[in-house]
Amino acid sequence: MAIEAISLFQPNQINAVQISDKTTVSEAQHNFGDFLKNAIESVNENQKTSDVLTEKLINGEDVELHNVMIASQKASITLNATLEIRNKVVEAYQEIMRMQV
Amino acid sequence: MSIFHGMNTTASALTAQRLRMDVISSNMANVDTTRAKMVDGEWQAYKRKTVTLQPQGANFSSFLNVALGTSSKDSVGNGVKVSSINEDTETPYKLVYDPTHIDANDEGYVEMPNVDPLREMVDLISATRSYEANVTVFNANKSMLSKALEIGK
Repeated sequence: MAIEAISLFQPNQINAVQISDKTTVSEAQHNFGDFLKNAIESVNENQKTSDVLTEKLINGEDVELHNVMIASQKASITLNATLEIRNKVVEAYQEIMRMQV
Repeated sequence: MSIFHGMNTTASALTAQRLRMDVISSNMANVDTTRAKMVDGEWQAYKRKTVTLQPQGANFSSFLNVALGTSSKDSVGNGVKVSSINEDTETPYKLVYDPTHIDANDEGYVEMPNVDPLREMVDLISATRSYEANVTVFNANKSMLSKALEIGK
């Protein structure tokens, strides 16, 4: 059996690592960040709508009173929902951090 | 169907009842108006107005969706809207004998508007109760959503 000499690796023999189909950590963070950003944007939209309607009512423009109240309630509900989600996320993070190394 | 679908339906109902109330106010305010509209050179008295309510979503896009099969035929409704404000041409004018009135006709009768205050008051109460009922529905909707946020607390 012939013993082959050791040959150096040529640079073109090194292949890149295949990216797997599963979501990587950065992708998961990116998705969650997007989701959170969209949620906060929608909360902001509801708050802005409520503010605009309240201002119109105060200025005496043609806006129905019940629409103002309903918009403010919608804004309050979405804000509470976001707060609860934030609480849960923070709680999950703290639970993980409590792991003893 | 978003989480606010029920609230939007209730909002449409509140708007419709408010418009109905405005029409009733107009009727009550014009109970003595003998010169409402000029027709053929003659003044006509005020005619009582009524509203017709129609479910919202009875428009072309909703029919198209049902035909295409993207939404089922018995899906949840979308609320109510006032489709038209009509003049009541069926009830006759009230004739009051007053020859001294400017708008009296040849026999001395004045045509007064066909507004019956009693009937308007009943409509008023009906509109008010309907409005209150819809506000109760909205509050129940909101408390249900708030309760959902307490899951897992």
